[in-house]
Formats: sequence, C-alpha cells, structure tokens
Amino acid sequence: MNSSRVQRAVEMACIVVISLVVAAGLVMLAGASPIGAFQMFLKGIFGNLNGFGEVFVKATPLILTGLGCSVAFRTGFFNIGAEGQFYMGALAAAWAALNLTGVPGPVRIVVAILAGFLFGGIWALAAALMKAKLGISEIIVTIMLNYIAVNILGIAVRTFLMDPAGSIPQSAKLDASVTLTRFLKPTRIHTGIFLALAAVLLIWFIMEKTSIGYEIKVVGFNQRAAVCNGISVVKNIIISAALSGGLAGIAGAVEVLGVQKKLLEGISGGCGYTAILITLLASNHPAGVLVTAILFAALSVGANSMQRQMGIPSAIVDFLIGMVVLLILSRELFRRKAGRREAK
Amino acid sequence: MMEQIFSVTFLTAFLAAAVRMAVPLAYAGLGETIAEKSGILNIGMEGVMLSGAFFSFAGAFLSGSMSVGLLCGIMGGVAVSMLHALLSVKLAKDQSVSGIAINIFILGVTSFLYKLLSSGDSYKQIVPMGKLRIPVLADIPLIGSALFEQDILAYVLYVLIFAVTWFYARTNLGLSAAAIGENPRAADAAGIPVHLYQYLAMVCNGILGGVGGAYLVLVQVGNFSDNMTSGRGYIALAAVILGRYTPLGMLGAAFLFGAANALQIRLQAIGVPLPPQALAMLPYLITLVALLGSIGKNHGPESLSRPYIRGAR
Repeated sequence: MNSSRVQRAVEMACIVVISLVVAAGLVMLAGASPIGAFQMFLKGIFGNLNGFGEVFVKATPLILTGLGCSVAFRTGFFNIGAEGQFYMGALAAAWAALNLTGVPGPVRIVVAILAGFLFGGIWALAAALMKAKLGISEIIVTIMLNYIAVNILGIAVRTFLMDPAGSIPQSAKLDASVTLTRFLKPTRIHTGIFLALAAVLLIWFIMEKTSIGYEIKVVGFNQRAAVCNGISVVKNIIISAALSGGLAGIAGAVEVLGVQKKLLEGISGGCGYTAILITLLASNHPAGVLVTAILFAALSVGANSMQRQMGIPSAIVDFLIGMVVLLILSRELFRRKAGRREAK
Repeated sequence: MMEQIFSVTFLTAFLAAAVRMAVPLAYAGLGETIAEKSGILNIGMEGVMLSGAFFSFAGAFLSGSMSVGLLCGIMGGVAVSMLHALLSVKLAKDQSVSGIAINIFILGVTSFLYKLLSSGDSYKQIVPMGKLRIPVLADIPLIGSALFEQDILAYVLYVLIFAVTWFYARTNLGLSAAAIGENPRAADAAGIPVHLYQYLAMVCNGILGGVGGAYLVLVQVGNFSDNMTSGRGYIALAAVILGRYTPLGMLGAAFLFGAANALQIRLQAIGVPLPPQALAMLPYLITLVALLGSIGKNHGPESLSRPYIRGAR
C-alpha cells in the first residue's frame, strides 16, 4: 500500500477520534450522558420527516454562501463578508418582493432573487475594488462591511421596510404569490434547494470548464504567472468577488422568500461565517461544499434537538466544526517524524 | 442640540469615553504590532480578545477577584495566540486561513462555555473595576479627566506604549525582533533565533490581546455576551496599519476609533433623532474611511505573513 495513503488515513482517524472524544467531553461538561445525547442527536435528524426536512432547509443558504466563499477563495480573495452580503441580498429581495406589487408573483420572485444577487455582489465588489485597486486588506474591509450591513438591515426594518401594522422591528409578511413553494409538506423544504443545487453545477462548470474559471484559478495560484500570461489580476479578483457576493446575496433572498417570508434581524443565523468553515473543509470544491453544507446542516439540526431535550448548548456544533478545521490544518502533527520531513 | 454638543461638559465626558473605548483597541493593537513586527500577521486577534473577555469574566465571576479575572483573561488570550503561533510558525500555514478559522472557533467555544456558565437564562454581572484619579493632573480642564481619571489598566497602557517604542528603537533585542519581520533569512544568518523570537512575540500578542478583551469585561461592562468583541480585533488590525506599525501611531488610530464609538454612544444618550443602528455603524464606517486614507506606501514589515522555513528557498 501507498505510504502517503496510509498516512492520510492515520491523520483522518486521529481527527475523528479527537473530535468524538472532545464532543463526548463537552456533552458531559453540560451535564448530560454522551450516549443519551447521541441518541437525541440522531433522533433530531432522522426521528421524523420534519427534522429531516429541516436539514435541507438549513443546508440551502449554507450551500449558496459556501459556494460564494469558495469562488472568492480561489482567487486568493479572502471574502469574510458573506454574512454582510447575505444581509444585503435579503434586504434587496424583501424590498423587491414587498414593493413591486404590480408585477405578477413568479416574475417578482425572479426579480427579487436577481436583486439579492445584485446587492450581495455590489457589497462584495466594494471590498474587491479596495483590495485590487488600492491594496487594502479585504479581510478587514469585508468584516467592517458585515457590521455595516447588519446595521443597515436594522435601520430598514425600523423605517422604510417596517410592517406598518406591527410594532416589532420586522417587515410585513410577503404575500403567498411571491414565496417559494414548499413541495414536501409538512416540512419546510422549499424550491430554493433546487436553486442551490443548480448553483453547485453552474459554479462547477464555470470553474472547471470555462476560461473565466481557469483565469480565476491561475490568479489564485500564482499572481505573477497570471500577469506574465496576460491574465488580469484586478479583473479576475473583481469578477470572483462579485460572483461570490452575488451567491451570498441569493442565499439571503432565498431565506426571505422561502423560509422566513419576511425580513427580520439576525436572519442569517451566522451562516456567512459558517460558510467560511465549510469552504475551508471542502477545499474550495463545489461538490465538497454541497456535501459539507448538508453535513453541517444535519449537525446543527441534531444539536438543536440536543439543546431542546437535554439543555446542551447548540453552540457545541460551532465549537466542534471550528476544532475540526483547525485539526485538519494542523494534521501534519499526527505524522511521524520521518513522514514529516518527506512531506516538506 | 448643537449647543449641547459643543458644551465643555459634553466634550469632557466625550473625551473621557473616547479614551475608555480606545484602551482595549490600543492593547490589542500593541499586541498586534509586536506580532507583525516579527513577521506574523495575527488575523486571529478577534479570537484572542474574545477569549480574553470570556475567561476574564469566568475568572472574575467564579473567584470574585479582579486580579484572578485579569490573569485568566491573559491566559485565555495567550492560549489562542499560541494556537496561531503553532499553525503559522511551526506548521508554516497560511496565516489568514489560520487566523480566520481561529476566530470562528473561539466564537463557538466562548458561546458554548458561556451558556454553561450562565446556565442559559440567569443574568450574571460582576462589579467593574474602579477609577483611580491622579490628583493634580486630573484637574487639567478638558483632557485632565479623560487621561488621568481612568482605571489602572489605562495607566499601564501609557507606560507600555513608551516602553515598546523604546524597545524597538533603542535596544539590540528590539532591533533583532524587528529584523525577523523584515528579512528572516538574514536575521537567521546573523544568529538571531527567528522562530524563538516569533513565539515570544506571539506570547506578548496573547497577553496584550487578552488584556484588551478582559478590559471590555472588567472595566467597561461587567458582563460577557456572545461575540461581545464585535469586530474590535479587526479594528485593532486596522489601527496597526493606519498607525504605520509604530506603537504611537497605532495609539492615535485606536483613539480615533475609540472616539467614533464614544461619539455614537454620546449621541444616542442625548437623543439625536437617528435610528440607533445608524449611529452604531459609525465606528465601522470610520474604520473603512480611515483605511482608504492609509493607501500609498506600504509600511508593513517586508516579510509580513510569509512563513519562514529554515533551509527552504
């Protein structure tokens, strides 16, 4: 057998074992029995159709934002701003869905999603321009834009998008004609999942089969080589950032139209940050993003059930996933000395 | 409204609040300056601060002692910085990836542990650290109370800023510590233990970042909440860039961001007819605008965020 394959298997085994041990430790820290918690975890996911459906409801925005991050990361543009782009997309989509009442429902859905794409894209574009033209760290800029977007949404649901009939900071409910169809009732699964799947295919196609994708990858791999071959670094960073933000914006739009059916604060549930971990785990590959996002969604559905039934904080998922990413980053530590030298 | 804003009372209170808001940023920024001078970009500063904030709260709450809280905060910060050092020095990983992963990880860790500590519902509070008035100096009009009627940690910061400036400008060790961020191979050839110094710089980074986070809890609010740093770690990164990698410049930038925060709080307090969210985004907007003003020559260390692998080309 190939020794590098053995090595990888050993690394993976180490990571799995450590994760399980830590997970059990955390559950015990929360005063519950690990086995009972694991049963509750599985029951939450597979116990009934609703829970199982919820996995795909949660996976939909994660797939879209994860794809978005992966496109940006490919050019070396560290888009930490999926959260803000999600918010701007949600805001634009809600505005379009609530205000363009003269437009028939299906058309309005398309317009709302496009508005989400556009605003998410613009939000990322701002950071891309600052990075590509002025050399300002996109990490700091996108984080600042996240907090600004959160506050803009806060203003919107208190002023021009506030439900005139209510007193809580949220928009009016969308009318039924402009919401995405739930095709597997009583679960909340909606047609947005198909959009997410289509996006996976599209991004895979763009990245692997078109010259745009090729250029994006070259820029990410070696900027100097890109320049020497007449590939514009600035142009490709901007394209990938806008695409990335657009996908996060669509995620926001889909969450508004398919799940919440109104605009409210905290609508992303932190999925813009989760997306970064998903992308890192999937090493930027679209199919990997799809699988990891569904796994993550399943984890959080299971964790919610543990929280409800046993009082184990659902933040345990973020704890464990973050740890897994760090373990994978440091996996060389599990290699034997000789192996490490060979790898370098 | 305008008379209210330009009164001496308002300005005095505003300046005092600005300094208070700037202190945690300056602690984190100073820690980041030290790390970056050694060539390590710690994007994970947000996580360092958050960890410092949480563990200082846990320590102070469980022991009832401020100093135990501060010590726990420092240890929490150092632990996170060491994690980043392990990944970026020993394993030579991409420092942005490592830092971001650490930030999200620490967000999960602190949220989880805080839920356990607060058992979900009860509201836990500690008594914040008191002020220490320096007699004569605090009587200077306008700036006196802002600078000399603060807590002990603010005074320690004043000393540290000058100590670090002196360290890099006037000591051999300081020059060596900055050389490894400029050209680690040359430094190595000159006999400077590059990786050891980078680890030491990261220890300082953790201590100072931990204090910065602890300050939010122990001095400013007296309790912990999920993601309570809300971007301050990143703002500290911006302060370092804006301050051109010098402690004094960084302090100036931190004061600017602190002032933006103090201003929005003050304006909310006197009831400006704007939604609170419009004011709350002010510090982030100012940071963005300030970064735009920082363009031009790059003042960063030559080998910033490039891992140094001994013997590699």
